[in-house]
Amino acid sequence: SDHMGMNHMGMNHMEMNHMDNNSTMPPHHHPTTSHSHGGGDGMMMMMPMTFYFGFNNVELLFSGLVINTPGEMAGAFVAVFLLAMFYEGLKIAREGLLRKSQVSIRYNSMPVPGPNGTILMETHKTVGQQMLSFPHLLQTVLHIIQVVISYFLMLIFMTYNGYLCIAVAAGAGTGYFLFSWKKAVVVDITEHCH
Amino acid sequence: MAMHFIFSDEAVLLFDFWRVHSPTGMALSVLVVLLLAVLYEGIKVGKAKLLHKTLENLPSTSSQQLIPEPDQDSTGSGSTPANSTRLRWFLCYFGQSLVHVIQVVIGYFVMLAVMSYNTWIFLGVVLGSAVGYYLAYPLLNMT
Repeated sequence: SDHMGMNHMGMNHMEMNHMDNNSTMPPHHHPTTSHSHGGGDGMMMMMPMTFYFGFNNVELLFSGLVINTPGEMAGAFVAVFLLAMFYEGLKIAREGLLRKSQVSIRYNSMPVPGPNGTILMETHKTVGQQMLSFPHLLQTVLHIIQVVISYFLMLIFMTYNGYLCIAVAAGAGTGYFLFSWKKAVVVDITEHCH
Repeated sequence: MAMHFIFSDEAVLLFDFWRVHSPTGMALSVLVVLLLAVLYEGIKVGKAKLLHKTLENLPSTSSQQLIPEPDQDSTGSGSTPANSTRLRWFLCYFGQSLVHVIQVVIGYFVMLAVMSYNTWIFLGVVLGSAVGYYLAYPLLNMT
């Protein structure tokens, strides 16, 4: 049974390469909330490099998307929470789709020499998708969406804003709780015969 | 913010109070980050094992409904053991969700530590991931 197999789609979402930033950084407004300035070298830190709690002048991903009031922060919290939840759901949905579409199982049997001069039949099982099939194309599109959302979540966490980071973590946990529920039940049923 | 890796004994990592000024402090910080990376790899394996345990503790009623048994006598008995199994499964599953949150948070912390662009910290993360993977993955006994 392969329910103990490492789920690479689920486990590797943090192992992404840091995007190398060739373009100049867009001008960031210095958040006026309580977090310390860097060193005494006279140069202001443009981006916060330590965690802080605040809702004044918080830039979020896109230019023009600035949080200034507690109400806006609450709205951003909910949006980030839902985004993280959606990300977890998307991961689970892709796994389910992959499992359902892996119908082409090829068995290759090869004779191999065994002990005492006997001949044993070794059977290799290959499971895969065809490249030009609709399930694979759908998986590719969903993969792109998953990659983009995972980078967005990383950038949101990179704002070092405590509220938004908590929203990411809580959304991920809630999404995992709600969507893995189905997976935990389905996996056992389908692999009951192993 | 420096956008290239530098060797330095000064860094500010994650929190305001985590300021490194000296080689000793840097060595300690590298050790902490190394342990964080080891923990991250360990948690990944731990979650897979928890999933295995959750599936073992699956409440028997759901599988009985889908696989019809020839003798219906066994389905009626044992309602109390089924409830405790259900609770055990739920706790296993809830524990798994908590572990997932911890994994997400630690993953992001390690990413932010690497974002400091301090080469020592980065090497600590790489080494910690290697050690963690080396120690934890053999524990994933494939059934």
